[in-house]
Order: sequence, then structure tokens, then C-alpha cells
Amino acid sequence: MIGVLGATGAVGRTAAERLAAFGPGGLRLGGRDAARAADLARTLPAPAEAVRVDLTDPDDLARFCAGCTIVVNCAGPTYRVLDTVARAAFAAGADYVDIGGELAAKDALSGSAVPGERTAVFSAGVMPGLSGLLPRLLANGRPLRRLDVYVGGAAVFTPLSAVDALLTRGPRFGVPMAAWREGAATPLAPLHGVRLPGFPVPVHAWPYLTTEAQALAAACGADEVRCYNVFVSGRIPEALSGAWADVPDVHAAPLETLRPYATQVVDASRLDNADVGAFYVMLFTARPHRGAPAGPTRMLLTAEDSYALSGVVTALAARAVLAGRIPPGVHLAAEALDPDEAATALRGDPLVTELALS
Amino acid sequence: MTTAPQSVNLKEELAAIWAELLALSPDAVPGDVSFLRLGGDSVLTVRMSALVRRRLNVVLALSDVRVEITLNQLADLVRRRASDEPMARTLPLQVTRRPDPYAEFPLLPLQQGYFVGQQDGWELSYDSAHYYLDYALRGVDGDEAADALSDAIERLAVHQPALRVRVTPEGRQRILADGAPRLTVYDLRASSPEDAAAALAGVRHEMSVRGPDPTGGPGLDVRLTLLPGGEGRLHLGFSLLTFDGWSSGVLSRDLLAYAADWNAVLPPLEVDFGDYVTALAGLPETEAWRADRDWWFSRLDDLPLPPALPLAADPKDVRPVTMGNREHRWSAERWSALRRECARREVTPSTAMFTAFAIVLARWSGHRRMLLTSLQLNRLPLHPDLHRVVGAFASTMLLPVELAHGATFAELAAAAQRTSGEHAAHNLVTGVEVGRELARRRGTWRPVGPVVFQSVLGVDAAMGGRPPEEAGPLGRIIAGDYFHQLRTPQVALEVRCFEIGDEAVAVFSLVDELFDATAVTAAFTEFVAVVDGLADGSGWDLVPRLPEPADLPAQEDGPRLGRLPEAASERYSGPPADELEQTVAEVFEELLEVPVLDRGADFFALGGDSLLAVRTVVRLAKEIGVTVPVREFLADPTVAGVAHAARTRTEDSR
Repeated sequence: MIGVLGATGAVGRTAAERLAAFGPGGLRLGGRDAARAADLARTLPAPAEAVRVDLTDPDDLARFCAGCTIVVNCAGPTYRVLDTVARAAFAAGADYVDIGGELAAKDALSGSAVPGERTAVFSAGVMPGLSGLLPRLLANGRPLRRLDVYVGGAAVFTPLSAVDALLTRGPRFGVPMAAWREGAATPLAPLHGVRLPGFPVPVHAWPYLTTEAQALAAACGADEVRCYNVFVSGRIPEALSGAWADVPDVHAAPLETLRPYATQVVDASRLDNADVGAFYVMLFTARPHRGAPAGPTRMLLTAEDSYALSGVVTALAARAVLAGRIPPGVHLAAEALDPDEAATALRGDPLVTELALS
Repeated sequence: MTTAPQSVNLKEELAAIWAELLALSPDAVPGDVSFLRLGGDSVLTVRMSALVRRRLNVVLALSDVRVEITLNQLADLVRRRASDEPMARTLPLQVTRRPDPYAEFPLLPLQQGYFVGQQDGWELSYDSAHYYLDYALRGVDGDEAADALSDAIERLAVHQPALRVRVTPEGRQRILADGAPRLTVYDLRASSPEDAAAALAGVRHEMSVRGPDPTGGPGLDVRLTLLPGGEGRLHLGFSLLTFDGWSSGVLSRDLLAYAADWNAVLPPLEVDFGDYVTALAGLPETEAWRADRDWWFSRLDDLPLPPALPLAADPKDVRPVTMGNREHRWSAERWSALRRECARREVTPSTAMFTAFAIVLARWSGHRRMLLTSLQLNRLPLHPDLHRVVGAFASTMLLPVELAHGATFAELAAAAQRTSGEHAAHNLVTGVEVGRELARRRGTWRPVGPVVFQSVLGVDAAMGGRPPEEAGPLGRIIAGDYFHQLRTPQVALEVRCFEIGDEAVAVFSLVDELFDATAVTAAFTEFVAVVDGLADGSGWDLVPRLPEPADLPAQEDGPRLGRLPEAASERYSGPPADELEQTVAEVFEELLEVPVLDRGADFFALGGDSLLAVRTVVRLAKEIGVTVPVREFLADPTVAGVAHAARTRTEDSR
């Protein structure tokens, strides 16, 4: 049995669809609204049961996890969930995959006794996740002078993902306005109105040196990594900065405090989307050292929507765990998945418009 | 109503806010380093705006307070927001003597235009952009004149440091400690009249086709010909890169004043051209500059094309050496009549000339709406000495003209004066910069304003009267006996109006190769006739005959100015294909300060301009050891195109 939490959400639905197509065994779909989960269950090509789950209720969680070989969590806000669901899954003898979590969740879980044979994979989404996984194909054994990561577009934020965006702040997540240069964070200015390959309109790119990008630098032997969040206007960055200026410690703030700010972020994303239409682009460019063997230097992934795409990645991670391709322990998807396999699977997925290495 | 903060305390207040946010000591906040560099981020900028609002009661738009802002820029922004005059023209710029008088400083926009116009490759370029003038001297003291003039040049080079300016290959400039022009003397006192005439013609030709070039020597070339009978000629070659029209006037006066009197002392100048340009570096950071830029940029898409003059050749195919001239002189009587008529109708003589020029162009091109370029003196009044300082201060202004049907000349002139005044009120952003953006939007690399109007009528009065007529050992200056020759890059046709003593002169300077000579002569004759009609008063109330269409409809009657095909370059795409392309991309990146990730990325579409293109060529040569000719860079300014040009060069040299 594969348990999918948050199955009726923007990410969970796709994850459930991909996992159902993958077979074997049935699915257990968990959501706050049992009726919607049941509607989804009826559309899937595999046997699926719908369950109402409240993530904050330990008994609910335990009941949901019981009997699952793996629990896939697409519910959030992921930075509030942290390792709660993972622990419930482990307690029930199930492995675990989470669309988010990052180092905060990974460390929380690793910090305590983990059953030796269990596997947990965090940050199995688009960013973090694919953003730290795919660039590895460009390094491919060649040490790099520089690696650039440009990710973003004009997708409409859901209220929950807006809260997630508000919570991606602090040293556990990354350093704003910085690049990674020879082992240290150094200031990097934002780009305004630049044209980038794959992006259909001129964009604004805000440096955000994620912890994922720092790990990537080490993994690829890159002297410099520049990692940008890309927007089509200044609206979303301004909404986020405004919130962070008002609420200095977002992690300590109750959800009710963040909600009005999340609404502003969602509104900003709606306006962006109305201006240019939906698109989502992941662009990676590598600059190998002089004299390095020839090979691809650009990877471009385009999709219409990042949420559904995250669901595809979560399902890929779950498949890898189920197939035993990921060793026991607590991992981040970018470091645990095989980039080649992921690229092949994504290329065949209808939600990916294009995935090109050149 | 907000309370305008006192500027003295303003920077301290702001520095205190920054210090608080960035955990620095207030004295450790420099004025010219970005908030980002000091450790700020976008969240802190929001808090900074909030603190400014609370403590100074000034509300800043979030989009104005970027993380790249410096303390000086912020202070300017706050000052502008606090005052109730967002368009106030008092600029927060101060011209002061630079600590290092020999430090490099940038080229002003028009200098950049001339600099790149000297690089082979731009349409209508010349080896040197310069103006040549010689005039007659009588009663020359042949034994003393050369020494007196030589000494005058030396003293002038001390007084006016711009005489010692050099332009670097990267397109910057600096003043040398020792780099004064040297006098060349031709002593023909013992020659026969025929030999003297031939020698004189030789000097004129040489100085017409080869101007002083400040990239290799002084921007001023002074020569003296001594002729039999106590006659002589003073020859002056001015590089347009270092001297504007006003400066050539000031320079002539200063030079003659020194030559006339060994002991002459001119009032000292507190600042030089380099000080002015250095102060101007802060201009784009001011609100006033941004307001002007927005004003121009919001009009760009509606600007007309240049007059569609029929062409005999495509400008990209001609290699002019000198420009041709048509010249007319109005007698003192005529000129004073014209000024009287103009005054009566509250139109400046310059506007009258401009309107007459526009009418002639409309008839010649067959349409009434057109874009012209006007040459402006453009010295921003930032220091009381500046009008006496020599340098290349001038700039251009793009000026759209639409001649209304059925209007009298007086009405057309009044309208032209209004339009010109309205545009000149936004002179902080020059026509060179506006033209660059216009070219970028139109996707053209041809000049957008190749028809130029220049008038220095009234300048003599502004300079405090006529130039001196006596110059000691040099004798008497016969200003009316002159010869001149102009080479302005990127110009197809230019009209220049100036005064010689009591008379007025209008000259058409043009690239002969581009036009049918008869058509030019006809247009010039018509121009003179229109102006004559103004001088006798009969022309003002006439309705000039004008063509019907405002804009020229598309037609197939041969090439026309501003309606020429653009060079199509190959389409490339994908990441840089090899190390050479990657190197080119990184040089682009370094100069343009944006990521250059595609081999098809176009240098100009990425924000490059002609000066940056020249710098890129220089920078690239250092990187790969091959100089890509500017002409080839322009033919295909993409990463792959430039790399291809470089590769071809390398292979050729093997």
C-alpha cells in the first residue's frame, strides 16, 4: 500500500496519478476533505481508498500510516510539518518521501534514532529537488568554473505554497542576494529585465543561495554557483520582502499571522500570470574549466506549472525507494536520486513540455 | 505636505538608518557603495524605507529603493520626494577640482558618438571627426609671429587643460601633464604667388582630410602660413572629440589674446572639462535625469523617421573622405533685417532658419513629418566658470517636426519654437542616448538622426562681443576671408548657421556621394530664397507649399534616407558551442553586466551600445589575441557571429 498525504492538493493529485499508473498494490489517499479524496480515487487506474486525515492529530497519522510500505507526503506547509509525518511513517514500518522539508526536516529526523532499515527522502519536489538534481548531468565528472541555476516563471501560487514561500527564510534555507564563490557566500546583485534562454519574456532574477545550491557546488566541484529565483515582475519579491520586514521571525509566527501576507503573494502571482500567461522554466548552465572534455553545457526544462511537476518528482522518488534504489537512511532527493533516470522519466512525462540538454 | 529634510543632516540621518540596519558604525557607511555590498538585502530595503518614512516623513516607492542603491542615490531620492517639485532642475551635482587632475574620466555621449564614428565600420565614419578653419591675417610681423603664437599655444595649454586631453583606445579620456599642441610654420614669404597659392592649397587639403586625433596626439592642430607682403593665414584643426563649437570660439579668443600680448593674463579657471564630466557621472542617479529619460522613452515609439531624401547610394556603401559644401552669406544689412523681423514675431533667428530648413526638407523628401537632430551647446550651468572652459560639452537633441498644412511660415516657426523649447527642457538625457534606445527599439544600426541642424547665431553676443580683430605680431584678423571644412560622423546632411562679424552664413555640409548634386543645389537655393523672404518681411505670412502626406508612403523609387534595408545576420541559438564562443560570451557579460548564455545573444539587444562595442573589441583582443574589426562586429553582433569573425581573422593570419 502506498499512502499519499495531501492527495487532493495541487501536487498530491499528480503524485497519486503517477503512482497509480506505476502499480503494484493499492493507494491510500489522505486529505482534509474525504469526499474530494474519494472523487480522486475513482479516477485512478489502481485500487485506491480515500481517508480523511488531520496532520496535526497523531492518532489520525498513525492510522493512515498503518499498513503502508511507503508514505508520500505532499501536504504542507512542509516547513511546519518537518519530521512529524516521517516519524509516524517510520513508527508504522513504512518508508517516507516528502515533497519538501529541506535540511530542517532532514536534521530533525536524523537527530533522533532512525530505524536502521528505513529510508526517508526529503525535498522531492521541483525546487528544492530537481533544481539540485538535474545540474549534476552537466558536471558529469567535469569540474566546473561556474554553474548557474535560473528557476521560475509565472505560475499562480496556491495559498499553501505561498506560506511555504514565506517560510523559506533563514540560514537553514539559504542566503539572499548571494552567490557561492570558492567556498563562501559572496554578494550577488539581482538582474532586472534580462533575457534568458527558454524564458519567453524578459525577467527579473533574484539571487537566492539555497543550502541545496551550496551542496550542489561541492557535488559538482563548481568554483562558483549562482542560483536565481526568476519572476516576471517585482511583485512577488516585493510581497515576500514586505512580509519578512513586518514579521522578522516567520518560523515562530502563527499561521494566522502569515495568512494575509500569503494572500498578497498569491495576488502578486495572479497579476504576473495575467500579464504573461503560465510558464515554468528551469535553466541550468555550466562553464567547464578550459580544456575539459566537451559535453552539454545547458539544460532546459520547460513546463506549464511547477506544482504538477513537483508531483511527478515526488512519485519518481517514491518509485526509487520502493525499487530499493535508495539506501536506508535520511536523504535529500537531489543527492539520492539518479539524475539520468530522473531526466529520462521526465522526458516521457506529458507534463514536461521540453527537457533538453545542449 | 511633508517637511523637506535639511540636506546637510539628511545624509547623516540616512547613514544612521543604514548603520542601524547593517550593524555598522555610521561613519563606516560610504556614499557610493551599494546597500547590497554593505550587506543589505531586499528585506532590509523594506525596513529602510519604513525607517525613512518614520524618521524623515518621506514616503518612498518600493520599486525605487532597490538593493543596489547607494547612500548618495538614496539621499537624492529622499530629497526629491520631500520637495514638492519632482521636476526641479536644480541638480544635486557639484563641479569641483578633482584630487588627481590626470585621472581618467569617461567620454560624454556625443564624444562617444564621435569616438566610435572614428572607428572604421560605422556607417558614415571618417578617420577623424574634425573641423578645419583657416582665416587671413594682414600686417603680420613675420619675424615675431611664429614665436608669439608658439608661446601663446603653450600658455593656452596651461590655462585650458583640454588642449592636453587624450582619448584612450577603450574610449575614456584623460589630461596629460605635458601634451600641448605644437605649432607648424610654413614660411612662404619668399615664394612666388603661384608657389604660395599651391602650398596653401596643399596645407588646406592635408588638414581637411586628416584631422587632429586625440587618440594619438593633441586634439588641436595649429599652423601658421607666412605669405609675402606681410600677409598670412592661421590654420586651425579642431577634433570634435575634444572641442565643441562654443569651445572653438573660446579657444580662438584666448589664443589671440595670448598671441597679442606676451604679458596677457586671463582670469583663472577653477575647474576644467574633466571636473565637469566627473561631476556629471552622478547625473543618471538623479531623479531629474530619470524624469527626462522617462519623458523621452515614453515618446520613442511615436517619433517619426528622418526625412526620406532620395539617395544616390546606400550610406553603408560609401567611404566619404570630406563633406561637400553649399554656402551662402547674408550681408550685414540683410542679416540685421532678418533679426529685426524675427524679433518682431518673437521667433529666434535660429528657429527661423530651422523652420526654413524643415520646409525645404519636406519638399525634397515628399512628406511633412520627420525627425531631425539639433546640435545643442548643452553646458549644464553647474559652475560659474564653465562658459569659459574649453571642452567637448556639446550634445545632440532629437527633434521631431510636423509641418501643418495651411499654416503660414510665422505659424510654423512659432510651433517649431514651442516644440524645440519643450524638448530642450529635457536636455539631461542627450539625443545620443535617446537615439541609441530608439535604434535598439527599431532594430536598426544605422544612424537614426542623420540630418542635423546646428545654429550658433547669437553666440558672439553671448561670449561678450566679437572676437578680437588685432593680435599683436599676428597682425589684423580678417575673419571674413576664411576657408573651412567639416567632417561629422554619422551625418548625411547638416546645416550650420553662424556669424562672421556683422554677416551671417548658412552652410549645407553633406556627404556628396549620397545625393544627387543638382537636387542639393536646388534645395539650398530654395533654402536661401525662403530666408531672404523672411529678411524682407514678405515670407512670414505666406503659406509654404508642402507635400500632402505626413509620412512617406512605401514606394519603389529607389533608396531613400531612413528607409534602407537592414543587414540580416545569421540566426544562431543554443549554448556557446566552444571555448572561443564561451570567451566571447564572458567578455560580453563582463561589459554588459548581464548573463550571456546563448550563442545567438545579440550584443545590442542585451543593452550594449557603440562605445561598449568598441571596448568589447579591445577587451576581446586582450583575451584572445585577435582584434575583430568593428565593421565585422557590427555585421553580426551575436556571440557566435563575433567568435566567427575572430576565428576567420586567426585563420587568415596563419
